[in-house]
Amino acid sequence: MPTQNVALGDDDAVRKKGEAIYQAACVECHGKAGEGVPEFYPDPLLGDATIGELTELIADTMPEEDPDTCVDDDAAAVSAYIHHAFYSEAAQVRNRPPRIRLARLTGEQLRQSLAGLYGSFDSSPWAEKSGGIKGIYFQGSRWDKKKIKLERTDPVIDFDFGHVGPSKEKGIDPSEFYIHWSGSLLANQTGRYEIIVRSTCSFVMDFGRDGREFVNNHVQSEGRTEFRQTLNLTGGRAYMFKIDFFQRKRKTEQPPATISLSWVPPGGVEEIVPASNLLPSWMPATLALQTKLPPDDRSYGYERGTAVNRQWDESTTNAAIEFSQYAISELWPHYERRHRKDSDENRARLRGFARELVSTAFRGKLSDAQQKVYIDHPIDQTPDDSEAIKTICLMALKSPRFLYPTLDFDQSESQRVANRLALVMYDSLPSDRWLQKLIEQNKLTTEKQISEAAWKMNGDFRLKAKTQAFLHEWLELTHSVDVSKDQKKFPGFDERIIADLRASLDAFLDDVVWSETSDYRELVNADWTITNERLAKFYGDKWIPADDHAVGLTRSVADTQTRMGVLSHPLLMANLSYHQTTSPIHRGVFLYRKTLGRTLRPPNAAFSPLNPDLHPKLTTRQRVSLQTDEVSCQVCHSKINTLGFALENFDPVGRFRITDNDQPVDASGSYVNRQGETTRFDGPRELAQYLATSSDAHRAFVDSCFEHFVKQPAAAYGADTLDRLTRQFQQDNFNIRQLIINIAVTVAKQTQASK
Amino acid sequence: MTSTNNRREFFQRLGVSAAAGSFLLGLPSLGWAASTSRKQRLVFLFSPNGVIPKHFWPDKEGKDYDIKRILKPLEPFKNQMMTLHGIDNKIKGDGDGHMRGIGCLLTGIELFPGDIQGGSDTPAGWSMGISVDQFLKNKLQENESTRTRFGSLEFGVMVPDRADTWTRMSYAGANQPVAPISDPYQMFDKLYGQTKNRELLASVLDDLVDDFKKVEKAVSAEDRQLLQEHVSMVRELEKELKTELAASSKSDSGHEGAVGHAVPELPPNVDTANDNIPQISRMQIEMLVNSFAADFARVATFQITNSVGQPRMRWLGIDEGHHGLSHEPDSNEKAYEKLIKINTWYAEQVAMLAKRLADTPEPGGEGSMLDNTTIVWTNELGKGNSHTRNDIPFVLIGGGLGFDSGRALKFDSVPHNRLLMSIAQAMGHETKSFGNPDFCGDGILTGLV
Repeated sequence: MPTQNVALGDDDAVRKKGEAIYQAACVECHGKAGEGVPEFYPDPLLGDATIGELTELIADTMPEEDPDTCVDDDAAAVSAYIHHAFYSEAAQVRNRPPRIRLARLTGEQLRQSLAGLYGSFDSSPWAEKSGGIKGIYFQGSRWDKKKIKLERTDPVIDFDFGHVGPSKEKGIDPSEFYIHWSGSLLANQTGRYEIIVRSTCSFVMDFGRDGREFVNNHVQSEGRTEFRQTLNLTGGRAYMFKIDFFQRKRKTEQPPATISLSWVPPGGVEEIVPASNLLPSWMPATLALQTKLPPDDRSYGYERGTAVNRQWDESTTNAAIEFSQYAISELWPHYERRHRKDSDENRARLRGFARELVSTAFRGKLSDAQQKVYIDHPIDQTPDDSEAIKTICLMALKSPRFLYPTLDFDQSESQRVANRLALVMYDSLPSDRWLQKLIEQNKLTTEKQISEAAWKMNGDFRLKAKTQAFLHEWLELTHSVDVSKDQKKFPGFDERIIADLRASLDAFLDDVVWSETSDYRELVNADWTITNERLAKFYGDKWIPADDHAVGLTRSVADTQTRMGVLSHPLLMANLSYHQTTSPIHRGVFLYRKTLGRTLRPPNAAFSPLNPDLHPKLTTRQRVSLQTDEVSCQVCHSKINTLGFALENFDPVGRFRITDNDQPVDASGSYVNRQGETTRFDGPRELAQYLATSSDAHRAFVDSCFEHFVKQPAAAYGADTLDRLTRQFQQDNFNIRQLIINIAVTVAKQTQASK
Repeated sequence: MTSTNNRREFFQRLGVSAAAGSFLLGLPSLGWAASTSRKQRLVFLFSPNGVIPKHFWPDKEGKDYDIKRILKPLEPFKNQMMTLHGIDNKIKGDGDGHMRGIGCLLTGIELFPGDIQGGSDTPAGWSMGISVDQFLKNKLQENESTRTRFGSLEFGVMVPDRADTWTRMSYAGANQPVAPISDPYQMFDKLYGQTKNRELLASVLDDLVDDFKKVEKAVSAEDRQLLQEHVSMVRELEKELKTELAASSKSDSGHEGAVGHAVPELPPNVDTANDNIPQISRMQIEMLVNSFAADFARVATFQITNSVGQPRMRWLGIDEGHHGLSHEPDSNEKAYEKLIKINTWYAEQVAMLAKRLADTPEPGGEGSMLDNTTIVWTNELGKGNSHTRNDIPFVLIGGGLGFDSGRALKFDSVPHNRLLMSIAQAMGHETKSFGNPDFCGDGILTGLV
């Protein structure tokens, strides 16, 4: 372990000496303040190495043309100087304190805000346990209460009633019956979904809103049995749907009665829509924006709404136009019906509707001037209601007051707090009735009130979806990643298995986060996973269900040796592997950067891995060591490889192994933390235990979580925010849900303070 | 467009005016008539429940034909009209008369077995084949010189909001019914939505910029930069939109022989409701003519209600639904009279469309748009109370197909498939058969040209 060989007594003097050396010998390549020099060393000198590590590095390698000229005390002085002046994270914060930057809505925030705006005209969605859809079975061909033969929750829609009908015992005549299925379809993530209904009989399906026709197969016609629709769904939203299915009596021969509801979720394969995505209740009407939005800037590791350009601008126009169509055809008629008893003098109803729409979009009360510009003027311009609504939507949804969610300085404290909570927790605006009520009563001012409101949002599908998106980001496992492997070497690791692994990972993450303890340590340390029959068959007996009778996705048996939460999950291990071999470097970089939150500078050049065929006798570990052996490589690879090697027990498809290339796997590794302390571990189990207890890992998790939910750096909310939240996280037994609440409350309170 | 320019250039080179051109073109030596440059257009206009034959079909054949009560509104077009009597829809198989009446009308082929039971016969599903309008649309779209923005447009007037065999006339293929658009505002959006949205956008930008200025004041100097960036982008867009919209309105007014304005004005807040049928019909006709003038499409269907349609023509003082009345025996004089009035009203719609086309000069071409458009007015039944599909009403108006019009023709119970083939051929797409080949053996109808 490196030791600190700088005399601590006189920091200033040491730094002064360091500065003199640096300005004389280093500026030529590194620039006056470490910013880099394009011709020599373009990268800025930033990082998280300790002074001791820096000293060693400088002594060994600097200056490049004659590394012997700056050693011992000189190296230590330079290291102390640059660490304090610009290199360390603390120095960076000191020099350029991060601030809360104004940002427009990101794509996801725009989608969610429009869904929220649409939803504000109906009752608010609620959380509910998934597990199937409600079916009402009738004798005869129409809705007749007296002829209900059967009511039940069907876990999925996948029926072949043949010529015997749904239930002879219940007395349903197979030649003439009617089934009414209703409930909701839950989209876990935002993306493109294909919905497929196959039926040999007549059926009609509404989706998203009662009366919003999705498939009309009122006419059963021979040969027309498959109906496909592709659409964008917004994550964390439940879409009501109903299917009216008819077997009609007729003079001619009847086809056997069959129906199934399948989908292809983003990044997935076609499957029957699983029970875990079906809710028996009919959720309030929802809008899923179809307009394509450009991707947001992710250069800071999280999405930020900072790019304002024509492409984005055009997409907001299209989104506003799309929204206006729903406002005209669905929201306005609905509003008119509800207010049919109100006076309509001077088109008061339309004005009332517009006011509700615009004030929700603007996240607050309208001033008289705004009322004039955004409501009265467009209405007075045209006698046509639809055209007025279109103009109002276009204006309101392109206005800075909608597109920049934090421009609410003229609103009440409770409103501003609610705006922050909705944005942080849901990426949306405060449209739920209960939240609007709290705003009206100005009951979101004390920390207790804020925290209670945040807790009330806990468990909501929208928060669940945002949390899942965060964990995908934390694991670098978004649905677009391609984890396919060499089919010859890994037969059976096909699309189907990969889709199962995605479902398994998501269910595991959900189980951990939404359990009572919501314990972060379970994420990296759990000795169980979620499995199904296919996975058990492929991965062997450590993957068999804990409960023999369970079907579908279910908890596996426990095994401490081969399983450690997400770390051992095959989806992660496969993603951090090459086509034929593992990649300890990818695994190590992932652990060092993402899991432990440390910084690494980019490699000196792009390298291809050594070809295993040219080194037939080496294990992967040996090959990687051979390639990264040089001193210049070791600067970083001494940190990377020692972490990645600890996962060598998992092959490229995530199966546990004890040999590699016929030699025993060496899975020993080590890590030097921010304090410069070294920890050694032998194998993945010890690594997992370390990650569960490491302060670096805790801090990294809190940091990622903060950035994902808030889309601003934690330090912008005060230099000690990250440390404070990390301490709280540790004190709260690593409760993830509590962490999210604490983050939301931090943001809400900052808003109060800034008033 | 290219051919039009060629023609104009040609005249210019000859040193004669475009007006004199039509005279020159009559000279066989110049041979223009044989060129394919003319835009040909076709509209199938449907009205339901059969007609009262006695007051519909002319008694006399040939050029000197007589016009009965129902066709009276079409009298001004006598010289451009053809009545085709004796054409039968002979398609058998599943489905009741009304279903096969509409489902096989433009497809000429049977319906699939299915579960929709009509008032008689066996239940059925959708048609087994493509309809002639969609067939021609595909052919026109395949060819660069006849390709248009939409190819075809399907207008409806109070077609009920349900998809079944009685409400669909047009098919993109077997089991692929095409839904007509019955809401004029929806049609407007389809045709002009983009232009309209650009205008709307241009109209709101100024107010938005004002609001940007207000919020700018409340943020820090650093944050203001982002807002200012946004505003300058909006300003830039505003400038571009101004240029774009000025250019498009200029080209509209400068469009020789085109309609006065490119985007028709619709009356506001017209609900899709029974009593608004006359207004909806006018709005749809207006958009059909406009979209043809703008060359958005060359084929259209115009479907007034549906097979077994039940419009209640209260504006004619008739409270009963049309289909209900159509079942009354001929001896019910009151009903009989009402049915004549109802059918006359349909004829008025055909006449309105014909007149709008006749009054509109062919954009960049010769004569009027009606000279290059044929309206085929048809029906799912020959007569309502007998449900016969013999003597299906086929009345053709205009010169799109180039038939020798101004005549009443009588055929001797020929299958309507042969007429569908004739239409396809007249549009430049000869086929060996259309629909069920069993009814096509005798080829196209003779005596039309």
